[in-house]
Amino acid sequence: MDTPKNTNESKYWKSLRAYHNDPAAADAKVREFAKDVTGEFDVDSLSGMSRKQFLALVSASAAFAAAGCTNYRDKGEIVPYNRKPEEITLGKANYYASTITENGQEYGVLIKTREGRPIKIDGNPDHPINKGKVSARGQASILNLYDPERLKQPMMVESGILSATEWADVDAKMTAALADAAKNGKEIAIVAHTVTSPSAKAVLNAFTAKYPTAKLYTYELVSELNRAAAWNRSTGGSTFPLIAWNEANVILALESDFLGYEGNIAEQTRLYTERRNVNNAKSISRLYSADGTMSSTAMNADYRLRVRPDQQLEFVLALISEFKGNSGAAKQFAAKAGISATEVQQLVKDLGANKGKSIVHAGNGLPESVHVAVNVLNDILGNSALYNRAQSAVVHEALTSMAEFEALVGRMNSGVVGVVIHFDANPLFHFSPELGYADAVKKVATVVTMSEQQTETTAASTVVLPINHDYESWGDHQTRTGIISLQQPVIAPLYATRQKEAVLLTWSAGAAAYKETIYHEFIMKRWENDVFPAMKASVDFKTFWYSALHDGVVTFAQAAAPVPSVKADALNGIAAANSGDGYVLYLHDNYFVGDGRYANNGWLQEMPHPASKIAWDNYAALSVATAKELGAEEGTMIEVTVGGRSMKLPVHLQPGLADKLVAVQLGYGRTVCGTVGTGAGFNAQQLLAKSGGYLYTGVQVSKTSDTYLLASTQEHHDLDDTFLKDLHKKRDIIHEGTVIQYLEDPKFLEKEHHATTIIPKVTYDGVKWAMAIDLNKCTGCGVCTLSCNVENNIPVVGKEQLHKGREMTWIRIDRYFSGSSDAPSVSNQPMLCQHCDNAPCENVCPVIATTHSPDGLNQMAYNRCVGTKYCSNNCPYKVRRFNFFDFRDNFADGVQYEQPLNMLHNPEVTVRSRGVMEKCTFCVQRIMEGRQHAIEEGTTFTGAGITVACQDACPADAIVFGNMNDKNSDIYKYRHHEIGYHVLEELNVAPNVTYVAKLRNVESHTENA
Amino acid sequence: MSSTVLDYSKEIPVVEGVPSASQLDETIVKPINDFPQRNWFIGLAITGTMLGIGGLSLAWLLYKGVGIWGINQPVAWGFDVVNFVFWVGIGHAGTLISAILFLLRQKWRTGIARFAEAMTLFAVLCAVQFVIFHTGRPWLAMAWLFPYPNQHGVWVNFTSPLEWDVFAVNTYFTVSAVFWYIGLIPDFASLRDRATTTIKKTIFAVLSLGWRFSNRHWQHYERAYLIMAGFATPLVLSVHTIVSFDFAVSIIPGWHTTIFPPYFVAGAIFSGFAMVQNVLIITRKAFKFEHLITMDTIEKMNKIMLVTGTMVGYAYIMEFFIAWYSGNATELFVFINRATGPYWWAYWTMMTCNLIAPQLFWSKKVRTSLLASFILAIFVNIGMWFERFVIIVTSLHRDFLPSSWGMFVPTMWDFGLLIGSFGLFFTLVLLFVKFLPAIAMAEIKAVVPGAQPSHHGNGASH
Repeated sequence: MDTPKNTNESKYWKSLRAYHNDPAAADAKVREFAKDVTGEFDVDSLSGMSRKQFLALVSASAAFAAAGCTNYRDKGEIVPYNRKPEEITLGKANYYASTITENGQEYGVLIKTREGRPIKIDGNPDHPINKGKVSARGQASILNLYDPERLKQPMMVESGILSATEWADVDAKMTAALADAAKNGKEIAIVAHTVTSPSAKAVLNAFTAKYPTAKLYTYELVSELNRAAAWNRSTGGSTFPLIAWNEANVILALESDFLGYEGNIAEQTRLYTERRNVNNAKSISRLYSADGTMSSTAMNADYRLRVRPDQQLEFVLALISEFKGNSGAAKQFAAKAGISATEVQQLVKDLGANKGKSIVHAGNGLPESVHVAVNVLNDILGNSALYNRAQSAVVHEALTSMAEFEALVGRMNSGVVGVVIHFDANPLFHFSPELGYADAVKKVATVVTMSEQQTETTAASTVVLPINHDYESWGDHQTRTGIISLQQPVIAPLYATRQKEAVLLTWSAGAAAYKETIYHEFIMKRWENDVFPAMKASVDFKTFWYSALHDGVVTFAQAAAPVPSVKADALNGIAAANSGDGYVLYLHDNYFVGDGRYANNGWLQEMPHPASKIAWDNYAALSVATAKELGAEEGTMIEVTVGGRSMKLPVHLQPGLADKLVAVQLGYGRTVCGTVGTGAGFNAQQLLAKSGGYLYTGVQVSKTSDTYLLASTQEHHDLDDTFLKDLHKKRDIIHEGTVIQYLEDPKFLEKEHHATTIIPKVTYDGVKWAMAIDLNKCTGCGVCTLSCNVENNIPVVGKEQLHKGREMTWIRIDRYFSGSSDAPSVSNQPMLCQHCDNAPCENVCPVIATTHSPDGLNQMAYNRCVGTKYCSNNCPYKVRRFNFFDFRDNFADGVQYEQPLNMLHNPEVTVRSRGVMEKCTFCVQRIMEGRQHAIEEGTTFTGAGITVACQDACPADAIVFGNMNDKNSDIYKYRHHEIGYHVLEELNVAPNVTYVAKLRNVESHTENA
Repeated sequence: MSSTVLDYSKEIPVVEGVPSASQLDETIVKPINDFPQRNWFIGLAITGTMLGIGGLSLAWLLYKGVGIWGINQPVAWGFDVVNFVFWVGIGHAGTLISAILFLLRQKWRTGIARFAEAMTLFAVLCAVQFVIFHTGRPWLAMAWLFPYPNQHGVWVNFTSPLEWDVFAVNTYFTVSAVFWYIGLIPDFASLRDRATTTIKKTIFAVLSLGWRFSNRHWQHYERAYLIMAGFATPLVLSVHTIVSFDFAVSIIPGWHTTIFPPYFVAGAIFSGFAMVQNVLIITRKAFKFEHLITMDTIEKMNKIMLVTGTMVGYAYIMEFFIAWYSGNATELFVFINRATGPYWWAYWTMMTCNLIAPQLFWSKKVRTSLLASFILAIFVNIGMWFERFVIIVTSLHRDFLPSSWGMFVPTMWDFGLLIGSFGLFFTLVLLFVKFLPAIAMAEIKAVVPGAQPSHHGNGASH
């Protein structure tokens, strides 16, 4: 047989032709398509373009087509970093030191930015005052930066209508108006808040130098005026001293919330909790709180004395009398005020035994007379030893008294005021209507308001100027001797805004003088000429300046103001007056929305009040007995009338509140605000007297038939209901002891709980994450919650949804009352996902959306979750959070979806949408970053140095996080702490969050005595 | 009336009178052949409206999310799962009647079996919609709850009771549907033969699968029916047992109880019989089936309700006892809270309707009264719905940490879907009685007095 020779090397052949190496087949082999099939699409005639090139071209043309079709305003800016800035690495965060201020306090901060946008803020660890911590408002302030409802360009009234204009126009018209006013001798009133910046003060000085009729007025909604005045009256000194809280063995807080809303919270909490260290139990300080309002401080007190604010003077005078040798005076007061005589006796004993080592501190809102008496009492007890003599407060401009404001209003009414400049102030909201400021403003020709957002005051202004947010601003701030904090912008202004100082600087230098860097240069020049030489630094100015900016703070030697001694006759003319039978009204600061400036910040509005757990509103807090007397229930509207001023407020029954007291938070009830803040709460400033002061007696209260819904994150129960009483103690949720008990028997808690199980324990050999929360340190301030909100992109759900029980916060502060409704004892407990080893949520998920990681994390795969909610039902801690809606869309007409709020999000954390479950992840994004870093470096990942957001934020350092398998770690110590326990231990879910039992420093061997 | 001595040697006739085969066929197919009565259209209008309300609620749900309901943290399951358990429970009577009673040779079941089976299918359909739509992302849940090989490498969680549910309910629905269909085959053939129009003839011809009433057919049929009954029997017990695992396997006090499986099964039969009773009494009256579904059948159903009602009542009380006896304070709290807490009204509605009301059935007078049977069955339906509400809501609303306690307040959309599910159920029932024989024509002929060979001769009496 003559078989054609098979030269085909290939083992496989497609056809006989190919097998026989037919040339046509060989030709066809290299062509994908037969010639006739493709027709004109000849493979050979195609260009030499590779597949890759082709795809690139296709995608590029698609991208161009898409880009060309959109009407995107910022053309040319949509491609980030065509030329990458040197300091930015994509995907890596940069941190900048800066400073923020609130209510006259400064906080050194570190701002985390990603690709040029700020996404998180924490305290600057190098800052000597707040040492790495920041207040709740500071944590949430980032939301204000990206608030879509910020003012975006200047506006001026033209033919009666406020309309948008250009800055140049404003500058020209304003310089003319100011010159005109100065020439005609008309006053130019600048109304501002506490000036914390020396450079801003210099700007104001320059302004008043240019326009001699200009006058500066400063105020705060809740100010330290009474304290300052009392200090001056008692000692003749001008600045009251700072207190070394950490040196006090005994603290008596009189209606003072130094752990809540008064002063520099981050600093005070740190100093206080330094002495609540369970590992140094012998030196735990004792906190007495004599208050009527059940503040944060009262909740943390070892002994709480229910003293109404109007009884405080009598109380302090009784204590003075007691220590002046009239023993029994304190007991008499206790009998009169209806408080425990034993506890008062204990207080007297403790104060007497700790002379020079205790401190009595009165709250901002108490009248001057109480502060004077407190100064005298501290003097008698030798407590002036705890006044900080190395450092004192720096006051750049003393606050203006209300009498001066009354005079200003008079001048405005008589037409001698030509221009009013509201320097980031909202007096129309803050001032008592009695003052008549709103009407007076109408008589002023030019009313300028500089503000970030629309306010009650911008609505009444002729010129509205949008100003920079703190993160867009330059500045220097000094509130203490020897420390100046520097503020630098971390993002270019998002809108056509200017820094408020730059505006005044322009107006004093002439309209043409404006340039973007005007204030920046002003500060640098001032530092170079005035500040730098005095510091006697060994480097040149540029080096000094950049290292100062880098650090965010400059410390230098500066003499503190002397602490004069208390005058012998300080108490002359001070005597307790009988306040009569009527009700007492006490108006006090709030915890989160500040003077109303944070009203449009949903995160802060949604933070529940530490004691009442009510969010989105203020209310009239009444004691249970008083409410009963009035026939009022939770949510009943009552009418409060004082001195002819009257308003309706909803009632909240607050356990622990003093009888016959109506306590109301100020700062709520904005009427001209963004969509978030408008209508949240009630404007209690209406009840303020024009002469100032926060305490009013002889108040009439009457019940109305109206009711109002107060939304709360925790149910309210009758404390006397035996069925519901003290469940948190019966159920192993809260374990407490006393210091004495612990010193005698450090293992007292171990006797209380024994969990045995037959289920084998899973072992974790590598890294195993765990957290410990020291309840001795936790004050329940809630800063952790806000930090978590920012870090983990938690949406705002709104009052209605909060009321339904759908808040989204991953870490919450549980508050439990025990005892009677008159004298409750409070336990706070931060509650978050416990990352149980035997997590009951995991086995019930039908789609394995929640699983356990090899390093002990309870994980959530949002993408896989179908939302059966079974996991949440089976979670004994109820820490899982469900997206019942797309909450960003659902709340306030989807304001959270508006530009530029999308820039707020942490790019490392998924933004969850509707229908999925979420919960605390132990900041897994930070863990992964650390792990990735270790892999890059080729080192073993031990977990050291990884911190979680709540831990970073906690001003008390109550939260410890880390690898519990690392025997050198803090968490290892806490995990095996003698008085560490797990919540609901008997369920054997094996949580990875350890709570360190709270030790109350009381004279008792058990907590219940 | 003098006291009568019951004669146990005498079977109570299943069908009253001695209707001929053709009479029976006429009676049963009358509703199918006749143009429907006005009442049928009125009924359909009402149930159609209810169904429409349900549809609207569903559309809004899909558009907005489950947040339109009253559920929250801690009560993450509300009407959705209450309705699911309720409808699955209703579904239990059908299979019990058609399978278990068939195996136990309870001839009285013949008149109601077809009906009850149909109701099972409709009830399970109602239940299934809640399984799907209670989830946050139903469009994914529909697929992801099933284990199918996929490139994502993800799988379902076979330790989750919800996953067991998926299988239990699916199996139940499939087996019930097949069982029901097998029973329908001879009737489809009868309908085919009686059909007057080509369309009807074609449809029934297809459905009857070539049935020719041959002896062999009957033999196979009887065998298949028996096997399917055997298949379906364990399902009656397993489905609600598994549904009860949704709760019993969890760690929530009030859910975490070993009594749940038998208690749930008893409850399911209880509620299923009540629903069958309600629908039956109306149909019997409307279509003049009194001689086919006799008062004796109704009385027997009432007796079963009395038994199962007392069983669930026993479970209610035993749960309470065990909560106390176990020494578990949290569990005791949950039970006391059920009876005296904010949802006391739901608890006592449940107790009244489920435990106390059926006790009236001890009286023969009540048992044999149509009106009383109807009203008490409604009571039981209400009570059993509340039972699920009590179990789900009151256990969740006050669980371990008092800090996370909350209240569940249903919204109009919760009620919308509840109404919609009743709309769906009754619309299907109405369509069923119009288009299919509500009584098994073939089977009923076999239980007519004298139909079976007997040594007593041909006749109803001895």
